[in-house]
Amino acid sequence: MSAPTVETPRRALAWRPGPVALAGAVAVVLVIAGELVSPGFAGYGQLVNLMRVAAFLGVIAIGQTIVIIAGGGGVDLSVGKVATFAAIIGSRVMAGDDANIVPAVALALLVSAGIGLVNGLGVTLLRIPPFVMTLGMIGVVQGLILAYTGGQASGRAAPALTSLVNGRIVFDLPGLLFLWLLLGLLAVWLLRRTTFGWNLYAVGANRTAAELTGVRPGRTLVLAYVLSATFAGLAGILLLGYTESVFLDLADQYMLPSVAAVVIGGTLLAGGIGGYAGTAVGAIVLTVLQGLLTTLDIGGAWRTVVNGVVLLVLLSLYGRQRRLRS
Amino acid sequence: MSALLEMTGVRKRYGGVQALDGASLTALRGEVHALLGPNGSGKSTLDKTLAGTVVPDSGEIRIDGAQARIGGPRDAHALGVAAVYQQLSIVGDLTVTQNVVLGLEPARRSGFLDHRAARDRAATALERFAAAFSGRLPLDRPAASLRPGEQQIVEVAKALARDPRILVLDEATASLHKEQVEVLFEVVRELRAAGVLVVFTSHRLDEVFALCDRATVLRNGRTVATVDLSSTSEDALVRLMVAAPRPEPASPPEAPHRASAGTSAAAHGAREAPVRGGTAEPGAVALEVRGLTTDRLRDVDFTVRAGEVLGLGGLQGQGQSELLLALFGAARITAGDVLLDGEALPLTSPARAARAGVALVPGDRARQGMFASRPIQENLSLASMRRRARMKLALSAPAERRAARSMVERLGIKIGSLNDPVATLSGGNQQKVVIGKWLLDRPRVVLLDDPAKGVDVAAKEEIYAIIRGLAAEGAVVILNSSDNRELTELSDRVLVLFEGAVAEELTAAAITENRLVSSALRLAPGETL
Amino acid sequence: MRGLFPGVRLPGVQLSGAATVAMLVVAVVVNSALQPNFWSGYALTSNFATFVPLVAIAVGQTVVVLSGGIDLSLGAQVTLASVVAVRIVDGQLDRLPQAVAAALGVGLVCGALNGLVVALVRLQPIVATFATSFVFSGLALVVLPTPGGSVPLEVTTAYRAAVLGVPVALLAILGLALLWWVLRRHRVLRHVYAVGGDPEAAYASLVPVARTRISAYVLGGLFAALAALAVLANTGSGDPFVGNELTLASVAAVVIGGTSLAGGRGGAGGSILGAIVLALVTNIVFFADVPTTYRQLVNGAVIILALALAGIPALQKRRPAA
Repeated sequence: MSAPTVETPRRALAWRPGPVALAGAVAVVLVIAGELVSPGFAGYGQLVNLMRVAAFLGVIAIGQTIVIIAGGGGVDLSVGKVATFAAIIGSRVMAGDDANIVPAVALALLVSAGIGLVNGLGVTLLRIPPFVMTLGMIGVVQGLILAYTGGQASGRAAPALTSLVNGRIVFDLPGLLFLWLLLGLLAVWLLRRTTFGWNLYAVGANRTAAELTGVRPGRTLVLAYVLSATFAGLAGILLLGYTESVFLDLADQYMLPSVAAVVIGGTLLAGGIGGYAGTAVGAIVLTVLQGLLTTLDIGGAWRTVVNGVVLLVLLSLYGRQRRLRS
Repeated sequence: MSALLEMTGVRKRYGGVQALDGASLTALRGEVHALLGPNGSGKSTLDKTLAGTVVPDSGEIRIDGAQARIGGPRDAHALGVAAVYQQLSIVGDLTVTQNVVLGLEPARRSGFLDHRAARDRAATALERFAAAFSGRLPLDRPAASLRPGEQQIVEVAKALARDPRILVLDEATASLHKEQVEVLFEVVRELRAAGVLVVFTSHRLDEVFALCDRATVLRNGRTVATVDLSSTSEDALVRLMVAAPRPEPASPPEAPHRASAGTSAAAHGAREAPVRGGTAEPGAVALEVRGLTTDRLRDVDFTVRAGEVLGLGGLQGQGQSELLLALFGAARITAGDVLLDGEALPLTSPARAARAGVALVPGDRARQGMFASRPIQENLSLASMRRRARMKLALSAPAERRAARSMVERLGIKIGSLNDPVATLSGGNQQKVVIGKWLLDRPRVVLLDDPAKGVDVAAKEEIYAIIRGLAAEGAVVILNSSDNRELTELSDRVLVLFEGAVAEELTAAAITENRLVSSALRLAPGETL
Repeated sequence: MRGLFPGVRLPGVQLSGAATVAMLVVAVVVNSALQPNFWSGYALTSNFATFVPLVAIAVGQTVVVLSGGIDLSLGAQVTLASVVAVRIVDGQLDRLPQAVAAALGVGLVCGALNGLVVALVRLQPIVATFATSFVFSGLALVVLPTPGGSVPLEVTTAYRAAVLGVPVALLAILGLALLWWVLRRHRVLRHVYAVGGDPEAAYASLVPVARTRISAYVLGGLFAALAALAVLANTGSGDPFVGNELTLASVAAVVIGGTSLAGGRGGAGGSILGAIVLALVTNIVFFADVPTTYRQLVNGAVIILALALAGIPALQKRRPAA
């Protein structure tokens, strides 16, 4: 992902597995475990299916990665709700007609970006802790959804969108996976090869130093929240294409996994370290884990507990604060 | 008399800085023992190891002959040590009474507080200082509502309420009025009479001579000497505190040929012209500061010529860093103008100041200057990448690498790979990265806040060469330094600051270490203010 | 009762006690204009009955916030404690003591877990309690997968009764205030204020910082358990999702009540009033004929606005912290 290092050959010897490689290894182990427990778990069709489920989480987690890298306790808990809302808007405006795809997607993304803007302004100008701000935003977006739909989702995905997401293109792989790859590359480019990305890492690593280097931290943070909501909106549209019709809590359950995927991928909750490749692997790990738990016939309640425990364990590994005594 | 306190071989390292390097201190029961040394000599760190807020990497502490293990403030308390820190341990939202008894609140067995006992204890502790407060003892007021001097007295009273055998006073007089200092000294003398050891740290030599019996001088984290103050002159003490001449001085301290030193350094320090525009002729006034006032600066006036190095001297914390931050748009300016080449500088934010050609190398590298976890590449690119980006957004990896590598070569930064985190470098190389990121932005005005602090001798000389090179190319350079030798070697002029105002301007031959030390110390309050 | 409204003494940075009281007065006036028979015994009783859970959890959140933390798992703790209690009591009055003890035990254990994770493992409170909230709400679903279970009729009846004309629920609120008043006189709360105000100064002053933080989360859990009991007494049955909305509302109540989210400043007196203000706003939205579909939007917006109120001083002193 980053430029090859030629300066010091001995670095190759000092190589230790990074979080991305570790997470990848965990995913492989989980797949093997699944195959042992329930033969067929690692079959081609089954794996493609798991990847498809992971794709939605992966796209939502793009924005989450950006916000968490920005540091300062940055996180966006409203991504699930925003994705739901975007899908609902998209579905209603499309009304099952290909001609409406462009206005529908544009409106859905615009509304999402607006929600992100409010999040960003609340966090930067009013200094509301991001967790609290975006948790509060869930209630507001839920309210917007009820007000917009009157409690009844309507419309339908346009056939073109559905065939883009579900249609099999090469190797019997659904288009969704190629879209995920495309968006993932976009995310990596944004983080690694743009002034925004480098400013973002700088703000996350040391906000004071960033400000004293001529970076505008406020502007960078607001943009991070706008992007987070926009990617969430995009994920909502993809979900719409997959499910064809929407319901009122379509993507809500992505809130915790989106944070967990980022943490599993080695992005520090303290900010300034990490990247999207890790998050993508993290999304796959979580999805495989869910699949395995389902295979083991472990119910939704215990799955929630396991998710919480997984997040706690990962945080204890990566996210500890300094001591008072030096 | 046997020693009450013996500290030997105390070492402590913070990141790249060796704060204590085998310091020792021996002090007696019933004495007031001064702990002296220049900025950064390790006095405060030694105080903190005694008080338990810093745990040393190695070293031995004996109290009353018995080996003491001080792993935290509770251990220190159990051994009879109480401390007054430079950074107060007052909780502003609690009342004065609550602060004085904090951590040792009188309470019933069930844990419910005994308010009357707390008030009594606080009143007793504060009564000896009654003269230091205007009006009645503010027992029930929130501590944050007191004036700084009064808060300081509360802090001392809080330490005394712990009934210590050893009392550490770290710059405890810094924010006190003359009358309050008198009151404090009276109390310290009573404590001495009662057999308490008082370890007293202060910048004010007149206070040290007025109060203390003996003094231990620290330099670079090591103990230089312990002297009997009744038989030591002020001059002799200052000589102990000022560093001995370095083995390989680049030029004699009072060298009159600073300009030529600059040009020779330019040849080796910088190959390409880093200065943008280049319209100012050498010698023309480039930066003009008129009546600059902030929370901590009062009415600062000065001008700097292009190609000139203006030093900022005086005791540390007299507004030098604040002045540099204000000139970089990072402190709120309440009055005054700053003109660059006759035009007002936009100093409303660092981002605008940077785009107008100002650069700041801040004083606290780890906190303000670098992105420890980020690659050297990004650290170097950040300040100037907007110049190379397409549509202000897209970065080209080869272009960024070329820019970073040019700076690595020009400044002789020793690195492995550009992708290594900057934290993996030595202090001197880290500092060169912080300077280098600005050189890539070709600034007109370079503000440096103690740029050579905590770096090794070789790196120091290289940083000096960079500074001379900048000036030789016509940049305006303003240099704050806690190292007076550095000021004498680099500055064309020095402004000595005191309490946020310019107290004295030294030029040419007047810039000597002794003059700087005496100028900073002679201005201590009680004399002129 | 000086300790109940400390916001009155300290200007700036947080909402003053006067602002909290003003909001309460406005909410009461508007509510009484809109709700028929607002002052009648029945309406008062049923209003107060719905207020108690939020009031209790707001007091718990206050203690945690004062210590410099935040507990995003309090709502989940309410859920878990309530479903455990309802499973145990199972409609039988003679099992009530065990149920109450079990609820308090759940609060104690959950609080201790949060405290350990925050104070000893040193995770950021906001993320750590976010993670534990999923553990707790998942466990609640394990204990009671679907709404159900029943509370003895005697309990729900008593909860909506009145003693000498004073609704029992109002007495419960006064009891919570009294509990807070007593706690403020205890060393633990003094240390909570000190640690929240300036952890380093507190550490240097011999305050046991880690133990104090743990105590704050344990107290938060115990108040969550009290909230759970009030929820059961009010609704009469168990619901594995009942606490979801309470977490954020408790934070908002703390902010409206004038406690600084930075810690060390404020008190539960304000939070109690803040909780009542929030509950009244919900009432107002209901009686103001806001269309059903817009109610949640209005409630969500009110909470965001309340959180924003605390941020307004930050707008005024916005300056780089260089």
